[in-house]
Amino acid sequence: MRRCQPLLGTFVEISIADQDADQAIQSAFDQIKKVEQLMSFHDAHSELSIINAQVHCKSIRVHPWTARILRIAQDLYTHSGGLFNCGIGHRLIAAGLLPKHIDFASHGIGGIEDLYFIDHDRISALRPLCLDLGGIAKGFAVDEAVKTLIKEGVSSGIVNAGGDLRVFGNKPQTIYIRNPQLPRHLIELGALSNGAIATSALYFAKRDQRYSHIINPLAIIDIDIHEQFSGSYSVLAKECVYADALTKVLALSKQGHHPCFARYGAQAIQIAL
Amino acid sequence: MISLPMIAHAKIYLSIEQAQKILLPNKQLNKMPIIISDDLQEKMRAASSIRYPFQGDRIWKSSDGGWFIVDEVVGKHEMITYAVGLSPSGHITGIEILEYVESYGYEVAEAQWRKQFVGKNINDPIKLNQDIQNIGGATLSCKHITDGVKRVSVLYELSLKHPQIQIKK
Repeated sequence: MRRCQPLLGTFVEISIADQDADQAIQSAFDQIKKVEQLMSFHDAHSELSIINAQVHCKSIRVHPWTARILRIAQDLYTHSGGLFNCGIGHRLIAAGLLPKHIDFASHGIGGIEDLYFIDHDRISALRPLCLDLGGIAKGFAVDEAVKTLIKEGVSSGIVNAGGDLRVFGNKPQTIYIRNPQLPRHLIELGALSNGAIATSALYFAKRDQRYSHIINPLAIIDIDIHEQFSGSYSVLAKECVYADALTKVLALSKQGHHPCFARYGAQAIQIAL
Repeated sequence: MISLPMIAHAKIYLSIEQAQKILLPNKQLNKMPIIISDDLQEKMRAASSIRYPFQGDRIWKSSDGGWFIVDEVVGKHEMITYAVGLSPSGHITGIEILEYVESYGYEVAEAQWRKQFVGKNINDPIKLNQDIQNIGGATLSCKHITDGVKRVSVLYELSLKHPQIQIKK
């Protein structure tokens, strides 16, 4: 059985072998919806939007999932030497890629490194933040959906959120990625079981004449903010949250052996043009 | 392995009947086609910025007053058939993608290309690759679906909610 819903700004597909597991699939979609409700930048009332509006003024108690994703984001920040940083929302607003809910001063905005935990689920920040979890939340949502499916007794399947996907169970699945030069053409990568793969590429951004959504958080001059490249950067990892986030590290560093991949048990696949 | 270029591919997720069971479970559904007046068509267009007309012949009403509506969105690069469930009070109970066809940009944009699909099974005329299941890659936007759902909401507000107005027409 295969179902697909528009969620997280993209198409989320859940495929499982069982034919009568509507309830399990529904629960998995519900988890993804919950991630969307908590972490949507587009929704001015999401927990993320509340954090962005208030976290520099007061401490905020957050949902355990939000706390967890922020800790993962901080860990990734540290081990990628700052290449992965969720504090780039204002850059995406300036490029018209995200909506502007709050009047941010364009200067003085901090990064994920300025966020700190007061206790396990209470956060605050030293500077105003404009966090965007677009580079990590899809992977996180895929992992939560997979957990739910397993809990509901589904033995194997795939959850694919707009190209960031995870295969669970021992049934290997053939995985394709798009040829960055001709994205309608597919490249067979091989079979994957019990693992995740995510990809960053700009072919759809270029096709639709949008700014690059891959932001270099270390950019010093304006021209370096929107990373430009024509290849495709995929990362394999056990969990989709790491695969998703690490594609940004790969796309920016272009180092298949960046030390942070080993730390997360990840593997890089670059399609160069 | 010699791989042939995969020019277009299609995915079929659910039949209309399967989607009905998911979106309005355990409900008796009756087909209730509606003639969409030019005025309503225009209002749906304005709310959604979708230009091609909405087809009013894929609307079902449940015994308790809920609705099940099938619509299509045709982008430059894809054509998506989707279903929306509405509660008796007009709240969206869910959205399911029924079919997704991806192809060349400029060809999909051509009405001619679209016509080939109307009323046809995806298996029929065009060589589409249905075996491709797991595609990784940069994220596709679901904006067209969001627009499509906007016009379904307008349809509910202006027509389904007060069926007597429709009859008067």
